[in-house]
Amino acid sequence: MKRLQALLAKELMDLRANPGLFVPAVLTGLLSLMLPFFVAVFVPWLTGERLSDSSDFTLAIELYRTEFSTAPLSPEGAVQGWIFQQFLVLLVLAPIAGAMSVAAYTVIGEKQARTLEPLLATPLSTVELLGAKVLGALIPAAALTFGSFGLYFSGVLFLAEPQVYQVLLTARALSIVFVLGPLATLAALQLAVCVSSRVNDARSAQQIGALIILPLSGLLVAQLMGRVQLTPAWLTVAAVILLLVNIGLMRTAVVIFDRESILTRWK
Amino acid sequence: MLSANNLTRRFGDRVAVENASLTVEPGQIFALLGPNGAGKTTTLRMLAGLIQPSSGSVTMDGEAILRHSAARIRGRIGLLTEAPGLWDRLTVRQNLTVYARLYGVPHVERSVTDTMRLFGIEDRASQPAAQLSKGLKQRVALARALVHKPDVVLLDEPTSGLDPESARDVRELILGLRSEGRAVLLSTHNLDEVERVADRVAVLRTRMIALDTPAALRARLFGSRIRITLAGDAATFVPHIEGAGISGTSSDQGMILASVDNPSLRTPQIVRRLVAAGADILSVVPDQPTLEEVYLRLLETHQDGHGPAPAVRRAGPQDPPQHS
Repeated sequence: MKRLQALLAKELMDLRANPGLFVPAVLTGLLSLMLPFFVAVFVPWLTGERLSDSSDFTLAIELYRTEFSTAPLSPEGAVQGWIFQQFLVLLVLAPIAGAMSVAAYTVIGEKQARTLEPLLATPLSTVELLGAKVLGALIPAAALTFGSFGLYFSGVLFLAEPQVYQVLLTARALSIVFVLGPLATLAALQLAVCVSSRVNDARSAQQIGALIILPLSGLLVAQLMGRVQLTPAWLTVAAVILLLVNIGLMRTAVVIFDRESILTRWK
Repeated sequence: MLSANNLTRRFGDRVAVENASLTVEPGQIFALLGPNGAGKTTTLRMLAGLIQPSSGSVTMDGEAILRHSAARIRGRIGLLTEAPGLWDRLTVRQNLTVYARLYGVPHVERSVTDTMRLFGIEDRASQPAAQLSKGLKQRVALARALVHKPDVVLLDEPTSGLDPESARDVRELILGLRSEGRAVLLSTHNLDEVERVADRVAVLRTRMIALDTPAALRARLFGSRIRITLAGDAATFVPHIEGAGISGTSSDQGMILASVDNPSLRTPQIVRRLVAAGADILSVVPDQPTLEEVYLRLLETHQDGHGPAPAVRRAGPQDPPQHS
């Protein structure tokens, strides 16, 4: 565990020395934050038309009337609440994209910089090596998600209709941000690290690892189209699946990490 | 200490190292020589527990380095890879601190400070590795390989690409390791470096083609030689020396090289013959072939890496027998 901590500290120091790595993720996160405010607050203010007057949002109003926590919301608040909750998935997606660029370089980056061989010459085990690499990308990604959520919440608190912020404090919203988000990020990062230890090109690792974004993007679209409602039961099943996927990926990563091939065949 | 016993490593159909055996003892600098692709780095990696041999074994104080024991034994070995491999964005201190923790060094901060002082890099502690010169990077990499005070130090081309001053500094550090009683194995192309530091030399060309002390290799390959410097052309006096039953002579302008089996007996005879023939002798000195000559002679003898080496003992007294 101490060796994992030592390498993790190195990963975080390396990131601190090169904060530019997370600039794309921060920018994507900021854009993701702004989008729902644009739709739910800025456009109605600019046009003078209320969203609740549109027949497109009837379903949202009905849905929120049936829930205890959101029942007291005004019709406009209900629509805003629906929009802000739907876009939470986007908030989870943005840090994944940033963390992927870090994770994809973990093994292959060390190899290309010729820093991997001295590292492998230490008593560090494969589990410790990969664990530190994954955590080194997961920690800043999770911090970005939580920070973004803080900003998002503050924005809703001050810009949206009164009481709308409560939709972000429901078990559903919180589990998306604090459970599903980190689990999905972890899965993406582990996939990237797995691929990073098998390919000669970091771009391949990044592209393959980014596959995890596809189902999440699909989920976002399905939600917006009203095809899927993220109920607590649905979220629990998704969390369990992601947990199992993560355990499987962790084992796979250790099994396929072949020190000898990495040292002797990669050029 | 560290022993390799009939190490063989294959990569698919290609044999990188075949039946190599050696032993490195504490307080000894062992040089591994060989042309590019001879298997030196592969041998070092097997000795460091980074890759497993296809057959044969590596033992550390009698304990074999196997998959389950490799991690623990790696903690007793310091490896300097061919490239310094420092984390560029981290400072010198951070680079060393991470490795000290990875090796489980007690009192990390103090150990790192002591190591930096020992290697004369304490004034660079806060500098990112990317800003260091190549010589300083190599020095930091050497400090990193030794931060945990390993019993065995494996150095892959430690002075490769360094300017003469930096190379000398690194050589002095290597000599310091010997005086500390560490076992040092040095893989290099630099014969001058080997000449200056090595106690024992092995020449690898897929197989180990020679292994002994530099002096013993010289004696076995070239015998004893004397160099006679004359005033004027030396070639005319060569027949007078050969007339004394001495073969293996060569001349170049005013100099004659003669191989003699018993220098203390033969040298006065040769001098008398030359004086009688009218030669003006300027000097007569014992001649020592350079290690480069020894090395090239060995490689000529073993063009394919499998040829015989009639004049060369295949293993030193401390080494297991070689299979041919």
